[in-house]
Amino acid sequence: MANFSIEELTVIEASRYIKDKETVFAGTGLPLMATMLAQKTHAPHLCFVAETGPIAPIVLPTPLSVSDPRLQYHAVRLGSLREVLGCMLQHGMMDVGFVGGAEIDEFGNINTTVIGDYQRPKVRFPGSGGGNDILSHAKRILIITRHERQRFPKRCTYITSPGYIDGPDARAKAGVTSKKPQIIVVTRLGVMEINPATGRFQIRKLMPGSSVDAILEATGFRPDIPGKIEEVTAPTEQELSTLREKVDPQGLYSKKV
Amino acid sequence: MNEESKVMTAREAVEKFVFDGATVGLGGQNVGRMAMAAIHEIVRQGKKDLTIYGCNLSINMDILVGAGLVKRCEAGTGNLEYFGTTFNFRRAIEQGIMEMEDYSHLGMISRFLAGEMGLPFMPTKSMLGSDMLTQQAKSTGKKYERMENPWNPGEPVLLLPALRPDVSLIHAQRADATGNVVIDGFLALDVELARASKHTIVTCEEIVSEERIRSEGERTSIPYLYVSAVVEQPFGSHPAGAYRYYDYDAEHVKLYQKCAREGGKALEEYLNHYIRNSESFDDYLEKAGGIKKIIALIKSMKRMV
Repeated sequence: MANFSIEELTVIEASRYIKDKETVFAGTGLPLMATMLAQKTHAPHLCFVAETGPIAPIVLPTPLSVSDPRLQYHAVRLGSLREVLGCMLQHGMMDVGFVGGAEIDEFGNINTTVIGDYQRPKVRFPGSGGGNDILSHAKRILIITRHERQRFPKRCTYITSPGYIDGPDARAKAGVTSKKPQIIVVTRLGVMEINPATGRFQIRKLMPGSSVDAILEATGFRPDIPGKIEEVTAPTEQELSTLREKVDPQGLYSKKV
Repeated sequence: MNEESKVMTAREAVEKFVFDGATVGLGGQNVGRMAMAAIHEIVRQGKKDLTIYGCNLSINMDILVGAGLVKRCEAGTGNLEYFGTTFNFRRAIEQGIMEMEDYSHLGMISRFLAGEMGLPFMPTKSMLGSDMLTQQAKSTGKKYERMENPWNPGEPVLLLPALRPDVSLIHAQRADATGNVVIDGFLALDVELARASKHTIVTCEEIVSEERIRSEGERTSIPYLYVSAVVEQPFGSHPAGAYRYYDYDAEHVKLYQKCAREGGKALEEYLNHYIRNSESFDDYLEKAGGIKKIIALIKSMKRMV
């Protein structure tokens, strides 16, 4: 096996959670990189959609925005926000919603709006965008982000996009469409997944060289630690060469993991 | 011709349809199809106390905020993705200079959908369980109504109020003189937005004949009935791109972001040099790299389409 970086393996591992023929809604950056990688390796028939309207494009490297022309190439339809967010996502047709980082808490809630008072925030982030729509309606949620303590607080002070809110049945109570979606977060330290019975994250896999202690050190809450934790398998030759040559040839994103 | 010409300059269109205190809808998304010529003109004319509506507001909104012309936004996000956040937007909210009312993108689309169909509100199942329902800006009235689906008691739905902007700014690839608009590439929110608005200013890469529009009516994205002004401005989306015509100008977006991030003098210098002290958008394009830059952006797009 060739040399690989942990950043590369993080994108590769994230791509493995997408299955062939699934519909995938992914934001630009790392989520899109992992989606493109899946399409060019084990999931050639996946249907990727971008928020601005492209449906099933053959994405050219390397889009920097959901409005990027590289993301419209050879799409079967260049539609609209309404078609993608309303007629596919809210309609219930999206198998996977794939988002990037920000603040993620122990219930998988995401804050991309404010730190501090809403009306006079200490820090103002960009806002929901399509993030709330993705977390509300997709059947499965994938998250790829940097693993830093301040990105994984115990509770988000503002829930932009609902994970399990505050417990296993909270989504159903609030009326969120997908009641118990799988929520998986992939980082350079490992993979965590929400346990639908508790609504809280548990550690599922460790990256090579990582440890439970390393995850606990870099996480602001204490994820559940099951008896058996797998190690993330090393990249295959195909995964690695596809990522390097066809997905992110300039290495624009892999350094952001 | 079944309708008189609506062709005018960006200056005339902004004078006529944008006013102090107006609610302004912004089409396009991020670095794709921004009505930048109209944005620059608003800055030159200093139309102020604006409320901005949109989904992914980006450099279009951020310039208006940086120029001190915006009192409020209602949108999904202020964001330039890879190029960073919208710094004037961020600063203005943190300093309490501007209000932001947050909705999800589908929430905003639902509101334009109600507006375009003449309905008072639209239901959605987004935003439930989020703090967009617990927090709101000071001057916001009733942000939403949560109710049960009358046909399925116990199932919560959210009603969001319709939006009917006073004027919307849209950039398209082509339009005829009466305002029949053809958009190439993704549509983002533009079609719903234009139909919901009381007036729509369309800036376009080129004005084409009504005959050409009529020969392929199925390609018309927005018919003339919804359009108040047509402005021909080639490269009018710069530094954003226009699908099939030219790529976005990453270099200039980075330059803008550097000035916006720094704020203060750097931002003022950007606004003065590129916008306030430019006679027209053509003048700005000269300063932003001129013909060499334009050829490079066209070539970059031609490799993809």
